[in-house]
Amino acid sequence: MALLKVKFDQKKRVKLAQGLWLMNWFSVLAGIIIFSLGLFLKIELRKRSDVMNNSESHFVPNSLIGMGVLSCVFNSLAGKICYDALDPAKYARWKPWLKPYLAICVLFNIVLFLVALCCFLLRGSLENTLSQGLKNGMKYYRDTDTPGRCFMKKTIDMLQIEFKCCGNNGFRDWFEIQWISNRYLDFSSKEVKDRIKSNVDGRYLVDGVPFSCCNPSSPRPCIQYQITNNSAHYSYDHQTEELNLWVRGCRAALLTYYSSLMNSMGIVTLLIWLFEVTITIGLRYLQTSLNGVSNPEEPESESEGWLLEKSVPETWKAFLESVKKLGKGNQVEAEGTDAGQAPEAS
Amino acid sequence: MAPVLPLVLPLQPRIRLAQGLWLLSWLLALAGGLILLCSGHLLVQLRHLGTFLAPSCQFPALPQAALAAGAVALGTGLVGAGASQASLNAALYLPWRGVLGPLLVAGTAGGGGLLVLALGLALSLPGSLDEALEEGLGTALAHYRDTEVPGHCQDKRLVDELQLRYHCCGRHGYKDWFGVQWVSSRYLDPSDQDVVDRIQSNVEGLYLTDGVPFSCCNPHSPRPCLQNRLSDSYAHPLFDPRQPNQNLWAQGCHEVLLEHLQDLAGTLGSMLAVTFLLQALVLLGLRYLQTALEGLGGVIDGEGETQGYLFPSGLKEMLKTAWLQGWIAHRPAPEEAPPGEAPLKEDLSEA
Repeated sequence: MALLKVKFDQKKRVKLAQGLWLMNWFSVLAGIIIFSLGLFLKIELRKRSDVMNNSESHFVPNSLIGMGVLSCVFNSLAGKICYDALDPAKYARWKPWLKPYLAICVLFNIVLFLVALCCFLLRGSLENTLSQGLKNGMKYYRDTDTPGRCFMKKTIDMLQIEFKCCGNNGFRDWFEIQWISNRYLDFSSKEVKDRIKSNVDGRYLVDGVPFSCCNPSSPRPCIQYQITNNSAHYSYDHQTEELNLWVRGCRAALLTYYSSLMNSMGIVTLLIWLFEVTITIGLRYLQTSLNGVSNPEEPESESEGWLLEKSVPETWKAFLESVKKLGKGNQVEAEGTDAGQAPEAS
Repeated sequence: MAPVLPLVLPLQPRIRLAQGLWLLSWLLALAGGLILLCSGHLLVQLRHLGTFLAPSCQFPALPQAALAAGAVALGTGLVGAGASQASLNAALYLPWRGVLGPLLVAGTAGGGGLLVLALGLALSLPGSLDEALEEGLGTALAHYRDTEVPGHCQDKRLVDELQLRYHCCGRHGYKDWFGVQWVSSRYLDPSDQDVVDRIQSNVEGLYLTDGVPFSCCNPHSPRPCLQNRLSDSYAHPLFDPRQPNQNLWAQGCHEVLLEHLQDLAGTLGSMLAVTFLLQALVLLGLRYLQTALEGLGGVIDGEGETQGYLFPSGLKEMLKTAWLQGWIAHRPAPEEAPPGEAPLKEDLSEA
């Protein structure tokens, strides 16, 4: 009761081997694609690691890069095997290696599927890292003369301009931190002294935002300071004004960007996984049909190819038996003297 | 009637010529493709930057001409590759025999003409960019505040995005904004004394300030951006208006855009020059190959020597034969056929 038996004659076998050879070379190309996708994601994460506290997880791009390299290696090997499969002499060389090789292929396909799933699922950890990183980044916005943090202002400004966002969740996040360095505050001014005194920590907080929050589509010149004070500006109502500043928070903007990137990579990886599964199945059929050629003197004879020799529950039982035998075998060696138990156990 | 620039071509040099021509044709096709990409890129850039060029500017004609020239070069390259590959095989060359002549004429006239036109434009048009940018940028800056006026409502957004992306401010510097009213009158408080003073002190009744829009701000500056009261040394701590301003972008948009567009035009021009050279070589090679194979009369693999030439006879002779051919066609029954006409007819059928 073999699983999914298919009859193969010589012509069909040759066609299968040739088709598999071509598919394997396309699959090498697919492996290169996965590799470059992983590399691209790694570079994008590195570019913005400043706003992610330098603690972002590189698991997804690293695994994509690894899978790409492995796919190239395995598939070029499989291509060589398929090329040799048509020549009985050359095939005899590969025959003993095929079964373990197919087992490795199955394992590789399982891992590829898991990596594709990871692309979709690791969004949550990115959200946390972004939230923490952006909060810290905004805190260090004013430290342009502290070595090690002097670039943070430029990074946050360029980020807000590029991604069209403001603050962590919205522009009000800027009201809660002091983003103007003390160096540029006029301490002789009464207004500055009042603000600092009215604050418990002695910080200079304003209801203003940096220039990078400004939206160029606004019909009026950007209002950056005294945002919540309607009387400070002519014909202005901060409750209804939507076009003045970017409304989106940078956390949401970056998360959307990276999510869409990882989702599309996950979809491409899933498609390539389907392709790889097809190749593995084809290789299994080729192996069993070539092994089934009963008389090696007659390469033209018909043979049968199958996926599994027995049905699934029988194969699973046989697999468990062989595992148990392995365990019992060790036990028998350790005991050594009790020969009567060995035949009962196996 | 001596052929013009004859070249003796036995079998081996003929094969070498065909192989070399095949390689050159693919190079020509590649160059044509690159020109297509480059002129496409320039056209896309001009669509974004079109507001900053005066409407009378002829600059967009350059990428359009280059697009056409690139397409013809690509076609010539593909034809050359096909013909040179076919010339090595008698069976394949048969369909090419009739087509090659007119194709060569079309390639020389059309392709050569377009390339020369595009090259000429590439050399002459970038000079007019300066004035066009001057006028275009001036208009855009003047209409920055007209966000409610149909036809100019996008100017503010476009100027802001230009300054943010190209890292520039104003036309030649940030002080250009001091001479333009960039705050719309809709948002000016008529009861504010400062506003009234400023408007009255100006001849044209414009509200001019010593401030710039937010898009001029330079993110690399260590201090939060100073946009207002830039001429007042007491307005901000640690700020001296006489020092070069680190706060804002130093370059003017005129210089930045001029350099950018001239670079693109220069690249396109050099690619056009290279393609012109390649196309001339390919057309010459094809002509020699065609006339040499005609001399063999279709037996391509024959070991015979044959002569390739550019024109079957000199220019005067060609004009005479062409005129005589036309004259014979209009006179159906010539009574006295001069004996020289018979060999002339043979030459005509050969060429």
